[in-house]
Amino acid sequence: MATKEKRFEHLKKWESTLASCIRCGYCYEHCPLFKHTGWESDAPRGKIITAFGLLSGNLELTETATEKLFNCFYCKRCEAACSSGVPLTEIFTDAKKDLQEMGFKGPGTTSVTHMNCARCLLCISTCPHEARSFNQDGIITDASKCQACGICVEVCPAGAATIEKTFGTGRDELTQRTVDFLNTHADAKFIVFACNWSYFPELQASRLPESETRDKDYEILVNMCGGRLDRQLLMMPFLNKARGVLVACCPDGDCQHDGSTKAKKLVAELKATFGQLEINSERIELVQIPAGDKTLFQAEIDTFTEKMNQLGPVR
Amino acid sequence: MNTVDESRLREIVGEKNIKSDPSDLYIYGSDASVHHAMPWVVVKPENTAQVQQVMAYANENKIPVIPRGGGSGMCGQTVPVNGGISLDMKGMNRILEINMPDVYCRVEPGVVDDDLNLALKPYGVFYPPTPASSRIATIGGEIANNASGVRSVKYGATRDAVLGMKVVLANGDLVSLGAHTRVEASGYQLHKLMVGAEGTLGVVVEATLSFVPIPEFRCMGVANFDSLKDAGEAIGAIMASGSVPSMLELVDSVAIKAVNKTMDLGLKEVAASLIFEADGPVKEAVDYEINKMRQVCEKHRGKDIWASYDPKERTKIFMGRKKLFPALSKYDDNLSSTSLADDMAVPYSKMAEMAAVIHDVAKKNNIIMTAYGHCGSGCMHTKILMDTRRQDQWESARKAITEIYDYVRSVNGTTSAEHGIGLSKAESFKAEKADSINMLATIKSALDPNNILNPGKLMQAPDNWVTATNLRYSVNS
Repeated sequence: MATKEKRFEHLKKWESTLASCIRCGYCYEHCPLFKHTGWESDAPRGKIITAFGLLSGNLELTETATEKLFNCFYCKRCEAACSSGVPLTEIFTDAKKDLQEMGFKGPGTTSVTHMNCARCLLCISTCPHEARSFNQDGIITDASKCQACGICVEVCPAGAATIEKTFGTGRDELTQRTVDFLNTHADAKFIVFACNWSYFPELQASRLPESETRDKDYEILVNMCGGRLDRQLLMMPFLNKARGVLVACCPDGDCQHDGSTKAKKLVAELKATFGQLEINSERIELVQIPAGDKTLFQAEIDTFTEKMNQLGPVR
Repeated sequence: MNTVDESRLREIVGEKNIKSDPSDLYIYGSDASVHHAMPWVVVKPENTAQVQQVMAYANENKIPVIPRGGGSGMCGQTVPVNGGISLDMKGMNRILEINMPDVYCRVEPGVVDDDLNLALKPYGVFYPPTPASSRIATIGGEIANNASGVRSVKYGATRDAVLGMKVVLANGDLVSLGAHTRVEASGYQLHKLMVGAEGTLGVVVEATLSFVPIPEFRCMGVANFDSLKDAGEAIGAIMASGSVPSMLELVDSVAIKAVNKTMDLGLKEVAASLIFEADGPVKEAVDYEINKMRQVCEKHRGKDIWASYDPKERTKIFMGRKKLFPALSKYDDNLSSTSLADDMAVPYSKMAEMAAVIHDVAKKNNIIMTAYGHCGSGCMHTKILMDTRRQDQWESARKAITEIYDYVRSVNGTTSAEHGIGLSKAESFKAEKADSINMLATIKSALDPNNILNPGKLMQAPDNWVTATNLRYSVNS
């Protein structure tokens, strides 16, 4: 089926920009989707190529083609890396507007609501992007507004709000990776839960030899946004003999989902709980790192490592 | 015609390592070049045994196989012009060994250049070829193209750093080439032959690479010039003076404007600038080299010359240079930067003339071109900025490219310094290698008798890429 250009009312304004993208691929080293799957189809460049293909009519308008454009966490690291100045997420948003109007729903990383929704409407009031609303069909999400921050998932008391395609950032996956790391590394001391704002001080898309990793004392797990963190996930490392947990998120005012505020509150609550349990509250810390500042990030990790060495195991 | 048996490939690499939906194939039909063509299937092997089985199957059934790294090639090297299997090597991304006593490392082909350097850093060493695309370029892709970069003037290109490798041949056989030593004098140095072969002779599944110490001192300088000719002549004079720069880059006015616009570098918008660097374990020696280069620049009417050891200053300029290729797209909002006539090398004494030819040819053909490059190693880059929707601009571009490469060959230069040939530069490559093209074809047919490894590239590529291949752009007729 050939694509009718008139149906891409929002995307068509990006026609020359899509041609300007020189497809160098510098965007995809930062993308958590690409780093998780290793497929270029999930990388920002892959989505730009898809948008160009759909707009030009060179790529057939199918569910599988369009779903790619619904997969994005809006961390915008691809835009920061792009020297051609391509506003990738704005293009993805406009593509989603058109695709929704044509009846495509993704959902990709868009949060959806299952039948067990209690209609408390808490997700609507907490969504920082006004993406959720309520009508006779129940809670609906505007995919062009949803930035997959996951805050609705976190606040939903019924567990009805969910993101189907998590690309390794879902609670279950992070829990499993936490358990796996702590149980396979004799020197493991802590877990770092981090946003995706940084060009991490670790390898991006390659793996080290086992001789280099077996003595690792911490693991960085990307949870995309501090607003997604929950008590259960942050306590999981302690149930697996970790000495501590470090939460790394954006400075106040920098988080586009206002997730830092929520993360700070959560960590403060856990510190108070630790106090009641007579566990040193310094075993859980929150640090705020400006986007891309991997030097500061590494310095904070080093400081926390030193602290954990001083405190020793939890008794 | 698509003759691939997907179920057989699924048996070999598993369900999760194969893609055949048209929307995925469309993405894998692109790289950083102007070309586009769809593979029949994308396969991402996890280990050598899987590569061997894929190759044996493909050879038996005469199916093209196109090895692919980061997909950052600029000449269409990984665009599957005859369809077939796009072999995504990014699934083999392990650094296998860092051997300090013997001064080498072993890596799989999907390891990213910057990642390798991050892993080497704690040992105080680095892998020097490092192209501008090192953030995504894989070692396999760099081997395929004999990649190099800003520091090649001192440390050499990929071929200089490769000590040995394991290669899966077209029939699926696995061979070890080279050694784990600095020198190897016997035979045909087949591991070196694989470097720059653009995936037409075998699939590299492991590489043994040398590395060098990270220099204790690095000093970078910039010199501005009111004429491109003066800057070009300064390059030759610096190299002829016996200086040993670790970096010697030319950027012209178009390139300066582009990086200023996108990265706010605040470079003075002059006709041309030279970025020069020296490094080493002794500061006095680095000072000596920097002063020597500064004096040569002054002699050639360079001005506003400064040099700094400050890592922040150096990083700013270095990153500006690394991001120049994408930045060129911002030179003019109505023009796109196309990867055409993207690299070449000429003798030092012709550097100034080469830069002038680029600008003259651009003017004559009503397009914008830029002259920049790792001129210390004789390498010149350019890009063509044009309205990609206009057919006449493509015709002008093709004419300009022919004229530029005619000049390159006339002064005994070479068609590719470090980006390879792929599709876009085949016409000039074939003309340049006229005397040896039969030898190249003989080697190819001896190692790949069924012509399944990246067919249609290098000497097999068509002369007129505008009409003989699909462009990735929408071009109005």
